[in-house]
Amino acid sequence: MASHAENGKFHYHEPGLQHQFEDMGQQEESVSIGMWVFLVQEIMFFGGLFTAYLVFRSRFPLAFAEGSNHLDAFWGGLNTLVLIVSSLTMALTVYYAQRGNRNMQVIMILLTMAFGATFLGVKVIEYTDKYNSGLIPVTGWNKRANEAQPAVEERAGAVMPWETAVAAAESGSEKKKPYINPHGEFQWNYGRHVYDYAIEKEKSGKPYLTESERVGYFSNGVFDPNKYRDKIRIFYFIYFVMTGLHALHMIVGLGLMAWLLFVAWRGDFSALYYAPVEMSGLYWHFVDIVWIFLFPLLYLLGRHFLH
Amino acid sequence: MQTQDGIIAEQSGIPKQNYLTNGTTLKSWLLTKDHKRIAIMYLITVSLFFMAGGIYASAIRLELLTPPSDLLESGTYNKVFTQHGILMIFFFLIPSIPAVLGNFLLPIMIGAKDLALPRINLLSLYIYWIGGALTVWALLQGGVDTGWTFYTPYSTTFSNTYVMAVGLGIFINGFSSILTGLNFIVTVHTMRAPGMTWFRLPLFVWAQYATSLVMILGTPVIAITILLLAIERFAQVGIFDPSIGGDPILFQHLFWFYSHPAVYIMILPGMGVISELISNFSRKKIFGYEFIAFSSIAIAVFGFLVWGHHMFVSGQSIYAGLVFSFLTMVVAVPSAIKMFNWTATMYKGSILFETPMLYAIGFLGLFLIGGLTGLFLGSMGLVVHLTDTYFVVAHFHYVMVGGQVIAYLGGIHYWWPKMTGRMYSEFWGKISAMLVFIGFNLTFFPQFILGYLGMPRRYASYPEEMQVLNIFSTAGASVLGVGLIMPVVYLTQSLIAGKPAGDNPWMFPGLEWRTSSPPPTENFEVTPVVTWEAYEFSDENGLDIDEARRRQAVTTV
Amino acid sequence: MQTDSSWVPILPEQASTLAWHVDALYVYLILISVAFTIPIVVAVFAFAIKYREREKFANGAEIHGSMVLEAGWSFLPFVISMTIFLGGAIVYYNQVTPPDDAMQVYVVGKQWMWKVQHETGQREINELHVPVGRRVKLTMTTEDVLHDFSVPAFRTKADVVPGRYTYLWFEPTKPGKYHLFCAEYCGLNHSGMGGYVYVMEQRDFDNWLAGSVSGQTPIEQGRDLFENKLGCASCHAGGPAQRGAKLENIYGKDIKLVGGQAVTVNDEYIRNSILNPGAQIVEGFQPIMPTFKGQVTEEQLLALVAYIKSLSGVTTPATGGTTTTTGTTNGNTGQTNSIGTQGSNPNAPSSNTANTQPNR
Repeated sequence: MASHAENGKFHYHEPGLQHQFEDMGQQEESVSIGMWVFLVQEIMFFGGLFTAYLVFRSRFPLAFAEGSNHLDAFWGGLNTLVLIVSSLTMALTVYYAQRGNRNMQVIMILLTMAFGATFLGVKVIEYTDKYNSGLIPVTGWNKRANEAQPAVEERAGAVMPWETAVAAAESGSEKKKPYINPHGEFQWNYGRHVYDYAIEKEKSGKPYLTESERVGYFSNGVFDPNKYRDKIRIFYFIYFVMTGLHALHMIVGLGLMAWLLFVAWRGDFSALYYAPVEMSGLYWHFVDIVWIFLFPLLYLLGRHFLH
Repeated sequence: MQTQDGIIAEQSGIPKQNYLTNGTTLKSWLLTKDHKRIAIMYLITVSLFFMAGGIYASAIRLELLTPPSDLLESGTYNKVFTQHGILMIFFFLIPSIPAVLGNFLLPIMIGAKDLALPRINLLSLYIYWIGGALTVWALLQGGVDTGWTFYTPYSTTFSNTYVMAVGLGIFINGFSSILTGLNFIVTVHTMRAPGMTWFRLPLFVWAQYATSLVMILGTPVIAITILLLAIERFAQVGIFDPSIGGDPILFQHLFWFYSHPAVYIMILPGMGVISELISNFSRKKIFGYEFIAFSSIAIAVFGFLVWGHHMFVSGQSIYAGLVFSFLTMVVAVPSAIKMFNWTATMYKGSILFETPMLYAIGFLGLFLIGGLTGLFLGSMGLVVHLTDTYFVVAHFHYVMVGGQVIAYLGGIHYWWPKMTGRMYSEFWGKISAMLVFIGFNLTFFPQFILGYLGMPRRYASYPEEMQVLNIFSTAGASVLGVGLIMPVVYLTQSLIAGKPAGDNPWMFPGLEWRTSSPPPTENFEVTPVVTWEAYEFSDENGLDIDEARRRQAVTTV
Repeated sequence: MQTDSSWVPILPEQASTLAWHVDALYVYLILISVAFTIPIVVAVFAFAIKYREREKFANGAEIHGSMVLEAGWSFLPFVISMTIFLGGAIVYYNQVTPPDDAMQVYVVGKQWMWKVQHETGQREINELHVPVGRRVKLTMTTEDVLHDFSVPAFRTKADVVPGRYTYLWFEPTKPGKYHLFCAEYCGLNHSGMGGYVYVMEQRDFDNWLAGSVSGQTPIEQGRDLFENKLGCASCHAGGPAQRGAKLENIYGKDIKLVGGQAVTVNDEYIRNSILNPGAQIVEGFQPIMPTFKGQVTEEQLLALVAYIKSLSGVTTPATGGTTTTTGTTNGNTGQTNSIGTQGSNPNAPSSNTANTQPNR
């Protein structure tokens, strides 16, 4: 219940009502349309990246599959699960806010934040692994190892039974192969299994390479591993920009949750006023949905080549 | 018929309590949530950017007086035209009508107290200032020379200028645009006064709504494109460099996917203003209201489908080119519909020739030429010869300056009494409108001819035989410049000594004219209830014409 | 640019078969524009005068709209714009579809010059000589950034894009000297990156070709390389020192390789044998030929191939039917092969090494 004096008249309005609105219904409708419009423009924002992905994947599918195979589907899958559950806790937050149950709201927000933080933690693990393996597309941003003293690297991620044969073979051979990267460049030391598979298929008559690939992987008619590596580097560039932008949105989401926690702790939300929780929920669900698209497009390519 | 309490109030004189006097500290302005104050701050900033862009334009025209590159070195000239484009497009044209006139008038025209999200509106302004400051800083450091189109690989790998800084400035500024569009969409949906149905909305509001659709759907794409450009330039790896498998044409597709709809952001609001001007100054209901309203939406939608017409000679396939050319022809039709409707509105009207109407009539002629020359450029056989020449430069100046800038000036003059409570000098207004029209045509019409002759764009030096036309163009530019500076003088002068305007100096039926000039902070004393149609020039509109005539007779003794 | 008249030129010269098509389209559009502009301007002026305000605050007539008019002025512009589209599409299709029998010229743009090479070996910088009445097809690319090869007198232009080939064609109709411009902004000296296209009578063109800048024909150049500069003759010249395969009278024939495969001796094979001799060795010979990769330029390869062909009595210029262009032979502008595969194209840059040190 809020009231105050304005021009000498007493003025009641519902809690949380902004002065430009006549009533809470108008405010809620406005805020809701506003958030949806915001999410639509976020879709367009990510859309540009999906377009770039589409263009390069349709031109160089083998390189994309090759690069994707080396991403750890376990961690990616775990992150997917984590985000889905966090969306559940977020929905429950809205539920409890509508009921005015302050304690459960706070618990749910804390859980959502915990899952969000877990997501980011897993991304740190993944990015560190990329750093250690020379898979960051920018020269100088990878771990450097002196030629004189090569560092033997263990794979940072766990190898699960359901990993592909490729990854298992790689992890085995990697333990033996020294990691040498004096300039911190992007390296691709993981063979060309997908390419080899495709060439096998081509020999039996089925065309497997796209036109761009027939030109793009070869120099003077011969397979050029450097050009192949360049295409894989494009995959990793797109991977980092897309997941990086997504992680940035996740960080913003965590900030939003922190604010929400503060306001929920104060007990401000009830059946009369819970729109901020609902709107924050929309944003959180959006971040989740973007990941649902990113995960299969980035992590799950090329698995069918090898089965 | 019902009259509102506020309508006859204070017909003459400036009300003591209005949005300008409600708080006089700097803090009350910088932290305001009042859409009108935000609009005024935008007005000042936008005018500064216009003047900076205009200085660059003068440098261009001065250099082009003579065939060799003698006034400016090529490198400097390249920066000058680039920066002219960037400042004018991103920091003047795109914000101009929406952020100044839209912000000020939209809530009033629909009978609301403010926009739906006033703090977001203030955030838009701050973001605009931050993006603008970063860009200006980068220009002072040495600027950019990539052309406002930032084509790769020149911008990613070859240019030695402040591409990233300017790119980031534009990136940040984009969010100002997005938030303004978001705000307008929400406001039009939820904040209309009782009785203000969609089809009673002024066409200015429809135009802002259509523009906002384009802003929210298109601007994020340029944002991500610039981000990718900046990353590629910084990290030297990316998706636009062919030597590592990337594709420079992908940049062009992503860039133009926004930048074509952007040009509709740079004309739709102007068209909205013209609808207001022509209808009101003909004292007649607009002809074909629904057609004009829907054509704005059609332009916004179809505008997203034609980006490839900027890339006909870039190496696009024939078939893609054919599709884009066809759709370009289609998108021309709604604009033609508007032209005819505006002309028909004047038929059997009761026409006033105040300065705003002169600008509106000028718009009709200039936008007509601009739009028709767009057809020249959409026709594939012809465009191969004309693309990347001065024909394109002339075309887009006709639509952007002859269109949007003229409409903006018309709108500023039209609503100046409402915003400030003062009338400016009609005499100087008319003179400057005519100078602008004449100067503009003299500047840009010769450029059509230069373009057909083959003079390419972005040239500091050109063949001898093209000099005469270039001299005409520069001569026209000086007239245009004078015409554009004059309003700064007499409008500022009106703030000090202009005649008080009164609520409704011309007795127009729009909601904005039913509150005082300047309006109070909450726009209306009492929330209006709308029972009349848009542009209701009849007894149904609730205005007391007889009273106005009596008052008029008394004051003009 | 030569203009016949006037003090103020309006149209460039029409110097190609397509020029009048484009000009016709232009005139058509001008007529349509005038046909729309005059009524509207006249109407606006007439209404402005006739319907000016007579009594203060008097209202205009109460007219809302007219479905008939709206339908009319929606339909008519649409129909007219479709005619414009069709006319444009037809002209465009001709403009960008090079005929098969066109004379080939190769163009490479780079900051800030145009490098042109004729099939017969002549090279030019910022100039292009062509015979009148012959169809000419330009195959173009760039070493660095985007440029655009624009010849207003021919009413045509095309961008050059790094990493791929683009095409342009024309048939000149009038001898003369016509402007060549770069029409895609490319940096510092964009305005200066131009020159002239010289259209000559066939006789003059032949004279020009013969007294050309390069001095030697490709075959002569090839012999020079073969016998002197590269030392091929030491193994391939016949006599007791012959360790390499015989090169006389082999062109166009099938030969057997080590491993049983047979291959036809064409330009591609000759070129590959010089760059990667170990890949396809003739049966009965040892794999001892060294590679000349990195020691020969593309022009030299062209000359060598021409010379070796001449040993089989074949004296047409190199390239022609053996180009391994993936995709279309009629060369729609747009996708064709990128740089990696080019066998016999003399102007194919062998790698995109053009990136200068970037600054931020």
